[in-house]
Amino acid sequence: MDYTKQIQDIAARLFSEGKIDVFVGYRSTGYDENQVPVIITDAGEVDKLVFNDRSVFNLVNYLKFEQTRNKRVGIVVKGCDSRALNLLLTESQVKRDNLYIIGIACEGVLGEDGRKAQNCLECVMPDAVVYDELLGTPSGKREYVVNADILEIAAKGLTERAAYFEDVFSSCIRCNACRHSCPLCYCAKCCIDQDSSALYNGSNTESSAFHALMTWSLHLAGRCVDCRNCEKACPSHLPLHLLHKQNEMVIYQNFQGHLSGLVPEERGAFYKYSLSDPDDFIM
Amino acid sequence: MARVGVFVCFCGANIADFVDVPAVVEESKKIKDVKFAVHYKYMCSDPGQQIIKDAIVQNRLTSVVVAACSPRMHEKTFRRAVAEAGLNPYLLEIANIREHSSWVHQKDKKSATEKAADLIRMAVAKSIANEQLHAISVPVTKRALVIGGGIAGIQAALDIADAKIPVVLVEKSPSIGGRMAQLDETFPTLDCSQCILTPKMVDVASHPYIELIPYSEVMELDGFVGNYKVKIKKKASYVNFSTCTGCGACQQKCPVKVPNEYNMGIDKRKAIYTPFPQAVPNKPVIDANHCNMLLKGKCGICAKVCEKGAIDYTMKDEIIEREIGAVVVATGYDLWDPKPYEEYGVGRFKDIITSLEFERMVSANGPTGGVPVRPSDGKVPKTVVFIKCIGSRDEAKGIEYCSKICCMYTAKHAILLHHKVHDSHAYIFYMDIRAAGKGYEEFVKRAQVETGATYLRGRVSKIYRKDDKLIVRGEDGQLGQVVEVEADLVVLATAIIPNKDNPDLARLLGVSYDKYGYMSEAHPKLRPVETAKAGIFLAGCTQAPKDIPDTVSQASACAAKVCGLFSGDTMQKDPMISTVNTDNCSGCQNCIKVCPYQAITAEEIPVARGSKEMRIVAKINEGVCQGCGSCAAVCRSMAISLAGFTDSQIINEIVSI
Amino acid sequence: MDSEVKNKIVSIEKPQLEAPADWQPVIIGILCNWCSYAGSDLTGTSRIQYPPNIRIIRVPCSSRVDPWFLIKSLQTSADGVLVSGCHPGDCHYITGNYFARRRFLVTKKLLNFVGYHEDRIQFSWVSAAEGPKFAKVVEKVTQDIRKLGPLHLNKKENFNR
Repeated sequence: MDYTKQIQDIAARLFSEGKIDVFVGYRSTGYDENQVPVIITDAGEVDKLVFNDRSVFNLVNYLKFEQTRNKRVGIVVKGCDSRALNLLLTESQVKRDNLYIIGIACEGVLGEDGRKAQNCLECVMPDAVVYDELLGTPSGKREYVVNADILEIAAKGLTERAAYFEDVFSSCIRCNACRHSCPLCYCAKCCIDQDSSALYNGSNTESSAFHALMTWSLHLAGRCVDCRNCEKACPSHLPLHLLHKQNEMVIYQNFQGHLSGLVPEERGAFYKYSLSDPDDFIM
Repeated sequence: MARVGVFVCFCGANIADFVDVPAVVEESKKIKDVKFAVHYKYMCSDPGQQIIKDAIVQNRLTSVVVAACSPRMHEKTFRRAVAEAGLNPYLLEIANIREHSSWVHQKDKKSATEKAADLIRMAVAKSIANEQLHAISVPVTKRALVIGGGIAGIQAALDIADAKIPVVLVEKSPSIGGRMAQLDETFPTLDCSQCILTPKMVDVASHPYIELIPYSEVMELDGFVGNYKVKIKKKASYVNFSTCTGCGACQQKCPVKVPNEYNMGIDKRKAIYTPFPQAVPNKPVIDANHCNMLLKGKCGICAKVCEKGAIDYTMKDEIIEREIGAVVVATGYDLWDPKPYEEYGVGRFKDIITSLEFERMVSANGPTGGVPVRPSDGKVPKTVVFIKCIGSRDEAKGIEYCSKICCMYTAKHAILLHHKVHDSHAYIFYMDIRAAGKGYEEFVKRAQVETGATYLRGRVSKIYRKDDKLIVRGEDGQLGQVVEVEADLVVLATAIIPNKDNPDLARLLGVSYDKYGYMSEAHPKLRPVETAKAGIFLAGCTQAPKDIPDTVSQASACAAKVCGLFSGDTMQKDPMISTVNTDNCSGCQNCIKVCPYQAITAEEIPVARGSKEMRIVAKINEGVCQGCGSCAAVCRSMAISLAGFTDSQIINEIVSI
Repeated sequence: MDSEVKNKIVSIEKPQLEAPADWQPVIIGILCNWCSYAGSDLTGTSRIQYPPNIRIIRVPCSSRVDPWFLIKSLQTSADGVLVSGCHPGDCHYITGNYFARRRFLVTKKLLNFVGYHEDRIQFSWVSAAEGPKFAKVVEKVTQDIRKLGPLHLNKKENFNR
């Protein structure tokens, strides 16, 4: 999968036609295969742009920041990235008219170990679901599979699970990189950072990490698109996808097969209900 | 800097017998921020309230905790007391140490006391986080909706309209009158039912303040007390009421015959019909389910004979809207189907009828000319057996409750039978005789003495046929013997049940209903005509079985409540509603999706003071918001807070334990 | 208040947390005002007895319950939590409990996933007429939590644990 040439051409064209102010894409670091996001502001920089199976990061995150606010933005999105974009559009965080979206019919990206990333193996929608033009041949929606890791953890007994997660949460240093890198985490002032006696603020204890991560995963429940930006950003290498995939599974299995961001204007699972939602866990 | 006062009530012996109140007071004094703690025998009494007021002033209290009965009892009382002392009434919290401690942990004084202390701790913590709130004024639409045109609905409508308040009266059937229009004479006076009812029906039709909408149903109710919008479906009658003169020619000529609901199916009516001769309005409607013209396009005789050309087969259902401030629900009762009593031969033997069928037979305008007859052969019965409690008080086959009216109307039926068939004899099988009203016991005595009716205390075990008679086999409990009565006719006093559409209507209106379908009153003793939803009231059998005097009383009570609600130009609204802190709102509008009342809209505000750039935030209409907190719970940015139940307040309660 | 609470132990299931002989579970009950709180009042009026371990917090609607409250309860003072509201279809605010029950299910499963026993948070629908049911629900929850043991041991002296 390599669309470097096409993306460079499209970006150049968009700049020359005066259709965009900035373009958000990927560039190589120059010293290893990893790529990093880049925001270019004129046609002269388009040869920095690349796109291949190392273009991992969810660029939609950059629609939260100053560099793109109120500007006309060109952006590259894969399947998962575009689902996050759908949610941002539904939640009025970006205006569709301000965007020129290059969608990719993604074939999956590689992890640090050079093998296909786990979330790509489990991907339900590799093709961009919102775009102005699509690169690649769409392969269509795939069958939902439960994440292998959470099945493994669920199979452990309660005590083992408790010990495992206590260990996980104790490594969190409350750096908030997960929030910063998640495209769907855009609140100007995070609930956890507000001056209120009800809520923890940024303290560095084990229990504050538990609080923060639980709250954060529940705020993303029914919205998370499994792009894994959070996990890649975490300096403590916390397996954050476990929490998100767990919520995703419960929501998929119980709420009419809900998966986030596939349909334009559809909101997260907690903002609607069905009369046939399960009740049997309630006395 | 908080200065909290704690006031613990003995509630006589209710709390004091099971909770060590002095110990609780001492414990409360140890709580940080509590500057004053005291107990009293009856905190809600005048001297009790005075203690609170004095303490607020003398100790410069910033919030008050009253540990007593449930806040659902006296929160308003104590709020008023606190306000009179100059403290904002919403800085009061109630610790429920009666319903939630002393009454439910009677065998464990130590635990009940510890729990009371904890509950006070929680209330203190919450009260410290409470904010001053001020009541909100909302406009009120001074128009009432009455659903149901039986005697309950009629009385409520007349009382409200007499207070010069416009009323919209919606009735499902083509005429008002309800069950009372089906009665012959009423206990305990033996007044002719039609004679006392029809003047009221005519009053309704001619009252300048009543808009009568017959043959209609309520489809939707939006809004909140003082500010409702109702959608009403006017069913197509296919008759132009303003042109029709009520001559009746159409009904004479119509070839279709349908079982007559007014006469409980004993005889037939036409497809174009008025339900009964004294109907109001006295105009016919076409039953679209049975009219040949409407179903098959064949016939059209009624249109041909109508001199005024009032028939219009092209009429459609119409949806109309009205703005109203309050609703009175008066949907009445239905009869329980006695089918489960198979051992009585219900459904098998023609000569077993229900009490309402008997009532129709003895009515002057009934299907049998005012004389009871046996359905099997049309002969006038001489021996009639009445069986009470059919379905009522029956956990096995029927309903647990007592239907209240059957003892009285069975005595009445015995008298009416005697009047209509002089040489008849009535046997009445009963479990009890419930005659508690004014003149009721005397009436039952009269039935027994005047008619010589035989009251047999015992249940009927079975009814079987012998030639053309029915043998009723039951117990005479007073003699301790099994008896068999050879009956010409058997009348079952079947249980009454609420209108079958009550659950659907309740959901539409947003009120609760019990397991039988009766609409739920706010409090069975102290608030019997209100529901938990402000502005919606209940009158008549829609709430519980009752007779006509109680129905009329309840309907007038509803009218009084409605008039009270409409007595000012604005209404004070509970300020415990949600507000948006636009600084934190990210404009995602998910709150809009979860609000049950569409109280939230999106609005654009400048991103910063003086900025031209706009951003979207949520805006909550304080008049519409009912304070459920759905929005506050889903707001990820914690931008919405629900006054009186903020995150801080609730978390304070949690961590204080 | 905040500083006292900040440094408490993370209380995921620690089987080593042995309950002293006189330990009493603490259960927080969050009840909706119109149905469950009214039902619990009816339990009281009817003098139906139930275990004294529950501490009730009133909210206007089950939909007011933020999963945050449940997490905070288990983290600070509670060994178990009960949330109770109106039966679906009968919510005083029409749709509150429909939204709430989605959050309840996901929160319950997530907490179980990270190491809390399923029975630590329980839910019920109790109407204003169901006084006896409320007592039965409290009996069950108290029994379940008693079996599971404590989540906290460093509590105030005045409550016997």
